Amino acid sequence: MSDSGSRPTRPGSPRPGTRGRVARLPSPVRLSVNVRAAAALCGTLLKYLSLSALLPIGIAVGYGEPFWPFLVAGFVAAGTGYGLERLGSSGGSVGFREGYLVVALTWVLAAAYGALPFLLSGEPQLDRPVDAIFESMSGFSTTGASVLADVEALDQSLLMWRQFTQWLGGMGIIVLALAVLPRLRVGGRQLLESEMPGPEIDQLADRIRSLARRLWLLYVALTAAQAAILTVYGVVGLDERMGWFESVSAAFATLPTGGFMPEARSFEEFAPISQWTTIAFMALAGANFALTYRALVRRQPGPALRDEELRVYAAVIVGASLLLTAVLWGEGLAEGEAAVRHGVFQVVAIVTGTGFASIDFALWPALAAMTLVMLMLIGGSAGSTGGSIKVVRHLLLGKSLRRELRQTVHPEEVMPIRLNGRVVDERTLRAATAFILLYVGLFVVGAAIIGIDAAIQGPELSVLDAVAATAATLGNVGPSFGVSGPMGSYAAYSDVSTTTMIVLMWLGRLELIPVIVLFTRHYWRD
Amino acid sequence: MIVGAGQVGSTVVEALHKEHDVTVIDIEPLRLQPLAYRYDARTIEANGASRRALQDAGVADMDLFIACTSRDEVNLVACSFARVEAPRATTVIRTSNVEYIELWREGRLDVDFAVSSELETAYAVARTIGVPAARQTDVFADGQVQIVEFDVLASAGGGLLGVPLREASIPDDSRVLGIIRGDSVTLPRGGDTMAAGDRIVVIGSPDAARAWSALLAPGEGNVEDVVVYGGGRVGAAIARSLCKQGIGVRLIEPQRERARQVAEELPACRVYNATGVDPDFLDRERIGQAQAAVFAMREDAKNHYAATLARIHGVRFTIAIVHDTISTKVYEHSGIDVTINPRAVTAEEIVRFAHDPRTQQVAMLEGDRYEVLDITTRPTSEYVGLEFRDMPIRGAMIGALVREGRAIFPRSDDVLQAGDRVIVFTETSKVSTVEKVL
Repeated sequence: MSDSGSRPTRPGSPRPGTRGRVARLPSPVRLSVNVRAAAALCGTLLKYLSLSALLPIGIAVGYGEPFWPFLVAGFVAAGTGYGLERLGSSGGSVGFREGYLVVALTWVLAAAYGALPFLLSGEPQLDRPVDAIFESMSGFSTTGASVLADVEALDQSLLMWRQFTQWLGGMGIIVLALAVLPRLRVGGRQLLESEMPGPEIDQLADRIRSLARRLWLLYVALTAAQAAILTVYGVVGLDERMGWFESVSAAFATLPTGGFMPEARSFEEFAPISQWTTIAFMALAGANFALTYRALVRRQPGPALRDEELRVYAAVIVGASLLLTAVLWGEGLAEGEAAVRHGVFQVVAIVTGTGFASIDFALWPALAAMTLVMLMLIGGSAGSTGGSIKVVRHLLLGKSLRRELRQTVHPEEVMPIRLNGRVVDERTLRAATAFILLYVGLFVVGAAIIGIDAAIQGPELSVLDAVAATAATLGNVGPSFGVSGPMGSYAAYSDVSTTTMIVLMWLGRLELIPVIVLFTRHYWRD
Repeated sequence: MIVGAGQVGSTVVEALHKEHDVTVIDIEPLRLQPLAYRYDARTIEANGASRRALQDAGVADMDLFIACTSRDEVNLVACSFARVEAPRATTVIRTSNVEYIELWREGRLDVDFAVSSELETAYAVARTIGVPAARQTDVFADGQVQIVEFDVLASAGGGLLGVPLREASIPDDSRVLGIIRGDSVTLPRGGDTMAAGDRIVVIGSPDAARAWSALLAPGEGNVEDVVVYGGGRVGAAIARSLCKQGIGVRLIEPQRERARQVAEELPACRVYNATGVDPDFLDRERIGQAQAAVFAMREDAKNHYAATLARIHGVRFTIAIVHDTISTKVYEHSGIDVTINPRAVTAEEIVRFAHDPRTQQVAMLEGDRYEVLDITTRPTSEYVGLEFRDMPIRGAMIGALVREGRAIFPRSDDVLQAGDRVIVFTETSKVSTVEKVL
């Protein structure tokens, strides 16, 4: 500056005798997240997602139903995606920080896109945006909770769209759980591949792509297998009600552990053999996909059989199934094979977060209902499409607690915690514990909001109903108890409650952290 | 030629100077001087890891090249140069890294013999406390094979005394190598019997050794609780080898990071992050109830103090590691039961190899009347290809063999192959015969 010498004692100016120009520092950075780059990536993803409208368009044409809602939705999504992409084209690269934003935003955009056909179709049950978004978020988050009181009133194309959103959501989750979240240091999966290098999205794009491609192939193959098996049952006559539409719908909702069915009574009216088959596929969908891939594709069942998480997962299923079978049989709700089948079906459907029902479990006695709510809080394995807390976190929490107890007696003892023989670092352990605390905290807050709202605006809810509805939406399970049981719907809840549930489904699906960090100041600044 | 004139080097020189012309290389003249005066060794003040220095020292004419400095890298480099300059010389390295030992065993490290102070020390500890009720224990083939000498008491478990061996209930994977009665030793056949007052020499797997111990001294129990002070390389190696034998180990390490490292490496071992000299800690963890304590910290004075404190707290059997030669006397004076000098143990091992490269290990029983040899069979041996039942007895008995790194306790229809490492029990006077025929 030219006047720096003439007014030597001005505060902040260089002392007399100092020559040269005054330092001009760049203004402080207000925003340290590259929103434009994140938006651009979301735009690209949305652009590709818009292609998914082709399937319901085909169905609509086939059944002679209006196809233009899907066409419009597709074009809107493609246009928005393209726009976002252009907006951020000069925005630099997406890094670790932006990852959270991309993940959180993608699901919101997908839910908005998924709601468009519902709104445009003029279907009276879904003509309010809140309801349409609830249904769509429930689909993309593979929850399976529905506001439809009368499912069968919908067009075939809309029904298939509902199933398809779940299947697409499941695809997203596989990449998310196995490739993206570990890099963002979220999710149990990081335990198993901790040797992976740090989160440089650029370098890892290739790895993510190849990993995703392989696991998607497995996902598609398993879906096709289930659909084919169920269709054969229908053709052969083992299950009279199982047509190709039902088979494909069931497969679209099983592998992502979704839970929508284009049927008023979920799985109740299908033959026992179809239910048993679906049990097997649900259980598979709730197990770690990477392990399933190794066992089925590479024919290395060893790691899967030795996996501690898988063993606990299996033990939970077997134990809870025995309990439920005993309760059902004892109470006279079912007998013999049916008691076993309903027990196992409901345990697997709830623990994996699928939420199918082979029987109306909302009418079950308290002990059975409590068991199901507990299962909702356990969840599937890490690296699966299942929801909730996940078995591995419970396992780690159990191990930490055991260590704490031992350390009260032996304060100096050093006890590293191992999972599958490998030492788990303390950071990961802390993250798992924090996650459970956060989950329980949100669960309590959610249940309080829903409970209080129900008390003010209705519907009439018992405490268990409010708790179960929260567990079922936060855990991406779907149906709960009371009015929103497997044969009922969430239509009776007020808009405050349904909005809360939309947020819960969103949070639960993305493992809480990527969404919650967005609401901290430290994420956006410095 | 010997590279390194420290404690190990000097001991090796002392043992070898009579039969060999010894050349010693070290960078430190003060260490070389006494060797030159006392043992008439040729001494060269130079860096052993320098190729030119080795050439100048005349490495090309050497038969045996021993690199035993305290630094692994120097030893490895010196040995690889020696390999180039004198391809026919036998090479020996001392290393503190167990990884190198493993590489050598797999044949992927181009030296003829590798010895690790840590492992040798660990074996020495395991020999001392491995099997209760034993007079003496020796460990072979990385702990896969144990040779134990027991007293046979009248209280020994049923089905042993007075019964012909072939009918006696002998633990699996083991056999009786010798029955010592008074002054005579019998190499038993199936018809022989044991009687109270005998001593027997048994070979077997670690499990079998413990089973024998339980049979012969019922009620004495196993070694279940040993405390190791110090989680450095020596301490960790001791803990590992004890854990491998199925002994419960508690390890005390003052450094937090190191303690965690050891705990991660040894899942079977309980690790405490503590100094080990805090009376409250000793009391809280009931250190006094340990059956034995091993002191393997870096400083002898600390070992000494900790051992004394542990004895005050009730530990009845203490073993201390010696770093300075003089500490042996200090330890012994203050009542420590066993002292082990890693450098001395290492030097002994090198000397033993220098005497007979084919014999991997020797153990003496009953003073030095009987020996156990670990010999690799030559392809030309008359025993190769024979079944064990057809072998003529020549005052020796093969108790176990190691084939492709795994221990086998042969039955009468097994066949001896060339290249097997056999573990032979024999009278000392017959050692040379045994070495000749195998």
